[in-house]
Amino acid sequence: MAEVRLSRLSKSFGAAAAVSGLDLTIADGEFVVLLGPTGAGKTTTLRLIAGLERPDAGSVTIGGEEVTARSPAERDVAFVFQQYSLYPHLSVYDNLAFPLRSPARRLPAAEVDARVREIAGLVRIDHKLDSRSTRLSGGEMQRVAIGRALVRKPSIFLMDEPLSSLDAKLRADLRLELKRIQSDVGSTLLYVTHDQIEAMTMADRIGILSGGELVQLGTPRDIYTSPANLHVAARLGNPQINLVEPGLIPCQSVPRGTRTIGARTEHVEVEKAAAGAAANARIDWIEHLGDQNHLHIAVDGRRITLLADPYSGFKAGDAVAIRLREPLFFGADDRRISHG
Amino acid sequence: MTDSQSSVLDRTAERLAAATPVPLARKVRGLSDKGLAWLFITPTMLLLLAINIFPLIWAIYLSFTNYRANRPNEIVKNVGLSNYQRILGDQDIWIAMQATAHFVFWTIALQTLIGFTLAYLIDRKFRGHAFWTTVILVPMMLSPAVVGNFWRFLYQPQIGLFAYAVSFFTGISPTEIEMLSNVHLAPWAIIIVDTWMWTPYVMLICLAGLRSIPDYIYEAAEVDRASHWRQLWSITLPMALPFIMLAVLFRGIENFKMFDMVNLLTGGGPGSTTEVASITLKREAFEKWRTGYSSAFAIILFVAVFGLANIYVKVLNRVKNR
Repeated sequence: MAEVRLSRLSKSFGAAAAVSGLDLTIADGEFVVLLGPTGAGKTTTLRLIAGLERPDAGSVTIGGEEVTARSPAERDVAFVFQQYSLYPHLSVYDNLAFPLRSPARRLPAAEVDARVREIAGLVRIDHKLDSRSTRLSGGEMQRVAIGRALVRKPSIFLMDEPLSSLDAKLRADLRLELKRIQSDVGSTLLYVTHDQIEAMTMADRIGILSGGELVQLGTPRDIYTSPANLHVAARLGNPQINLVEPGLIPCQSVPRGTRTIGARTEHVEVEKAAAGAAANARIDWIEHLGDQNHLHIAVDGRRITLLADPYSGFKAGDAVAIRLREPLFFGADDRRISHG
Repeated sequence: MTDSQSSVLDRTAERLAAATPVPLARKVRGLSDKGLAWLFITPTMLLLLAINIFPLIWAIYLSFTNYRANRPNEIVKNVGLSNYQRILGDQDIWIAMQATAHFVFWTIALQTLIGFTLAYLIDRKFRGHAFWTTVILVPMMLSPAVVGNFWRFLYQPQIGLFAYAVSFFTGISPTEIEMLSNVHLAPWAIIIVDTWMWTPYVMLICLAGLRSIPDYIYEAAEVDRASHWRQLWSITLPMALPFIMLAVLFRGIENFKMFDMVNLLTGGGPGSTTEVASITLKREAFEKWRTGYSSAFAIILFVAVFGLANIYVKVLNRVKNR
């Protein structure tokens, strides 16, 4: 267990800067998720912490010790890769025991065995200990990979999109399991993903990366309700936040300097047009997702997408009255303007 | 598919049918898919039968006779299994087999060791590794006849570079280093040349094996605190093993029937110290003209190589499917 501190961390590959001037502190026992699109520098950040890449500038501190110049083996980190990086010629048991059998550790065989069995139970793979690692399903392989990271009890865990190559159901299961395991073990965990649901559900804090820079760091709630800028606002929320110019949809008070209004479902009130509410928009079509519907609403030639209850009673072609309720306001520099 | 689409397709088919000459169209239409396949395969099959299978069957037949190719007019007698019995009891044959085993074992051992080491170094992707790969591959691209001839020059005690180099490092007079005519050195002389020539081949196969191991496995091992030695032993070697075994198989089969290079370098001498099986075979067949007897020997060699290779491939498959 340890605190991780990155300061002014930079790394370029050729002319392309992958990470530039990154400052980030992860508290002991904290679950931090780095969220960003492909190429935002998430994976590079993890690899820099693990020591698989050397930074061009800046430093990495783990548990108060400066480790920037140290090799991965000297850093006491565990890494779960996006691919199932199991040793294919070894059994599940031997894969889990591999880090413990390092000559540097000299653990007695009985202790290795006890540790392997304990972790196998934790990641629920204990029924397959004798199987070849290549004979497992994708979910099982990734559980073994996570187990292999856990077995060493390292000071920090680094996970690089460990669930991205799994199907949706497995991903949901493992997401819960990971969160459970992390709270059981109480370890520091840095997790990289481009999946906002993973970020929202698992993280203590989310760091939004863009172009190699940390744009915002905060709790999932913070990031969702008070995004620092348009980029962050667009990363979270499903369907994606609607960006409209002021004046398109009626709104009580718009702060000065607002150039764009960000409206999520909860920021828009939709009513069927009636005598009391004059229609200012029309429902274009409805996507049925099963548990909920997406309403595509045409307003003055623009289209916004909202989430709706399947029993809301709206039909395609309905004339509706919409207005904004405390939406997000963004200025000319794309930063959010706080209300009042 | 809509009606208009299907009618377009119909019309295209009709036009195609009309454009094909009638006799050809009728012939081709008469052939099933299977018939067409046979039409394409048959010429190759006939050629293979004529130059591979027929000689093999003919040799099997001859191995049961006392036929001599230099006396075509003599009556050919069926001698049953006596050729085989004589071979298995022949002292000279067993000496030849021992020489072959010595040659095969040491060439494989050295080529695998050096080949894998070179592949491992090349795989580090140092500066100019592409250039060095090409340089290393040159011997393999030469003709065995050329190699045999120029190594004869290199091995010359008076003017040869090899003898000179050895004497430079050891201080032994170069005239005493008679690689090809010394009874103890000659077997090693052919091993050295074969290793020089074919190590690149083994290296190439090993390199393919090493390149097939993904980087992230090594990265995972590094994070797991595995030393370079441990990575070599528990990742690189096991994962490249099927490739190494394949290289051993190829070299083993090839060297079991090695003829050209040995024939050029020593011709089996001095005495019969480098007389590998194929040289014995040639002497029996084309110097002593015992065609029936040498056919039987060839069949024994064939069965031995074939059987061993089959067992080996089974093991190889098991290793691959672990």
